[in-house]
Amino acid sequence: MAEFDITSTTRDGMGPHGTQVGLLRVLGPAHVWALGVGIVLVGEYMGWNFAVGKGGAYAALIACWLAGILYSCVAMIDSEVTSTVAAAGGQYTQAKHIVGPLMAFNVGLYLVFAYTMLEAANAITAGYLISEVARLTGYDGTLDQRPFIVLVIVFLAWLNYRGVLATLTFNLVITAVAFVAILVLFVSTTGLLAPSMMQHAALMEGPAALPYGWIGVLAAMHFGLWFYLGIEGTTQAAEEVRSPARALPFGTLAGIMTLLIAATLTWYICVGLIPWEFLGDGVNGSVAPLFDAARLTGMQPLVVLLGVGTLFATLASANGCINDASRAWFAMGRDKYLPGWFGAVHPKYRTPYRSIIFLVPIALAFALKAPLDQVVTFSILSGLLEYTFMPINMILFRRKWPMHTIKRGYEHPFHPIPSLALLALCAVTFFAVFLGYGTQLVAMIVFYIVASLWFHFWRYRFVARAAQFTMPWPKPRGY
Amino acid sequence: MTYRPPKQSKLSQLFDVIVLLAMTFGALYIPLFLGLAGGSKSVPEGAPTTWEGMGQNAAQVAQYNALGFTDPAAVSNIINARYDYSFSWGALAVMIVVIVAYYALMLRFSEQEYRDVISEKFGDRP
Amino acid sequence: MSFWNWMEYAAWGLSALLGGYIVIDWIKTDATYDEEVLTSSREGELEAMVEEHHG
Repeated sequence: MAEFDITSTTRDGMGPHGTQVGLLRVLGPAHVWALGVGIVLVGEYMGWNFAVGKGGAYAALIACWLAGILYSCVAMIDSEVTSTVAAAGGQYTQAKHIVGPLMAFNVGLYLVFAYTMLEAANAITAGYLISEVARLTGYDGTLDQRPFIVLVIVFLAWLNYRGVLATLTFNLVITAVAFVAILVLFVSTTGLLAPSMMQHAALMEGPAALPYGWIGVLAAMHFGLWFYLGIEGTTQAAEEVRSPARALPFGTLAGIMTLLIAATLTWYICVGLIPWEFLGDGVNGSVAPLFDAARLTGMQPLVVLLGVGTLFATLASANGCINDASRAWFAMGRDKYLPGWFGAVHPKYRTPYRSIIFLVPIALAFALKAPLDQVVTFSILSGLLEYTFMPINMILFRRKWPMHTIKRGYEHPFHPIPSLALLALCAVTFFAVFLGYGTQLVAMIVFYIVASLWFHFWRYRFVARAAQFTMPWPKPRGY
Repeated sequence: MTYRPPKQSKLSQLFDVIVLLAMTFGALYIPLFLGLAGGSKSVPEGAPTTWEGMGQNAAQVAQYNALGFTDPAAVSNIINARYDYSFSWGALAVMIVVIVAYYALMLRFSEQEYRDVISEKFGDRP
Repeated sequence: MSFWNWMEYAAWGLSALLGGYIVIDWIKTDATYDEEVLTSSREGELEAMVEEHHG
């Protein structure tokens, strides 16, 4: 039994509601940027190229920009709501205050699923990359990728366990390196520093331009999301940033701008160097397209740089995913949406340590057993369900608390156009997913329906009613 | 009147976690086990395996060579594979119904629970 | 044994080491502190303080 000094200056978050150990408020806007971009940037290094396979190079570009619009809407909506609802759990906490408990439970599960699956995908890619390095350095056996996959997940879980500041500072450094690597590859292949190596016209000649016609463009939207999936994760840091109302909108909007640049450059470099059939096959063809692009330049320093960039991007992403998934799981445990045991904070490291531990074996199970495109699809599906929730959330937020009834850290312009645009783009993406992965989509939704019934009729009895509404807001309009 | 939630025992907490895990793994692995997981490409029968036959121009062949594939047969499965985007309108209708029903169900139950929360929080229960 | 075989074993070893660290620290923490203290975190502390100062 430990004694706690309430006046201790080393322990903040000592609130009137009895928090004795809470999460630590230590992060700045740069960490928010690193969390958002760090999770997503791996999408440029692997996975987005499935969109090329789905519809060809131009289809991938259209999907890249449509998804860019979708995510700009996501970032604007998120910035407004989260600068007002600043708590761990992000969209889960937003849903709890704005839509209702069952929606919040579902959103919490979307978050945990999307991030844990993405984490598994990252670990798979890291394992592949290390085996590729072994092959290129002359190892003639087949490298066992499993120990490296396990090491990536366990090492990052350990880092997350030990504290959020070190975790996200690490992310800041490796994300910056991975982003700079894309810029370097761009300037050294496109004629800015050296003669241009781009062969867009020849590689996209004839049927290679739009091999499936316009339906291919629709289908490509499925993996178009992969360019940006996870930027909404910045909100999970809400309880750990020093000034959430300022840092979260800043970090999120700077993040989406970074990604729009990175995504477009990546597309331009890769389709100008790699034939689309090879590029579009992320399993047997180009698993790590930027790395392959660097190999095609024949310049050894670029190969090394992009190899390092790919590895760093996967690590940064898995790292951010562990951070976000554990925050969401923790927040649900704290409210008793999940067993309250998960709502514990480590008294020394100030992290949701039990949630971090619990999600490790789950990530391992998928990283070691499931194929990459399936894992990616599960992640995208959960993300998509979440993006469909966001416009509903935003419209209800503005209706229940109109402008000036509460103080918002950031107000996004043109409401409700971003919400409606987001909803329309989600519908298109549902159709795209249906074209290839309809069964998984239905299985996934059946899962959420069963889980919802379980929550409504069983689990919700353990949740205190009024206590879960923690924001100091007036009563919502219409109640 | 404030709702007082019951305290959950350790065993019951554990049981809830197991239920949730079973549902999770079920949703993710059942389509894989049943072989219903879609998304695979197929190579048409008797597809050509020469660069010319596969419609590759000089620039494309040069890039394949640079990637280390000098034998077209080694990459013919990658080049010839195509997705099949044909679908049935019935299946599409099922998907739309499932998605809409899911959100409708969830928003309905949420609203019901939310009214409860608000009336307890702002204390105007009759 | 080649370099990469050693790396495989090293990765297994390091994973076990870090995993072991987490599990031992977890058990120690749970044994040292009271459950009430560990799970005392509440949402919206910042907001609650603002509310009590102004309200």
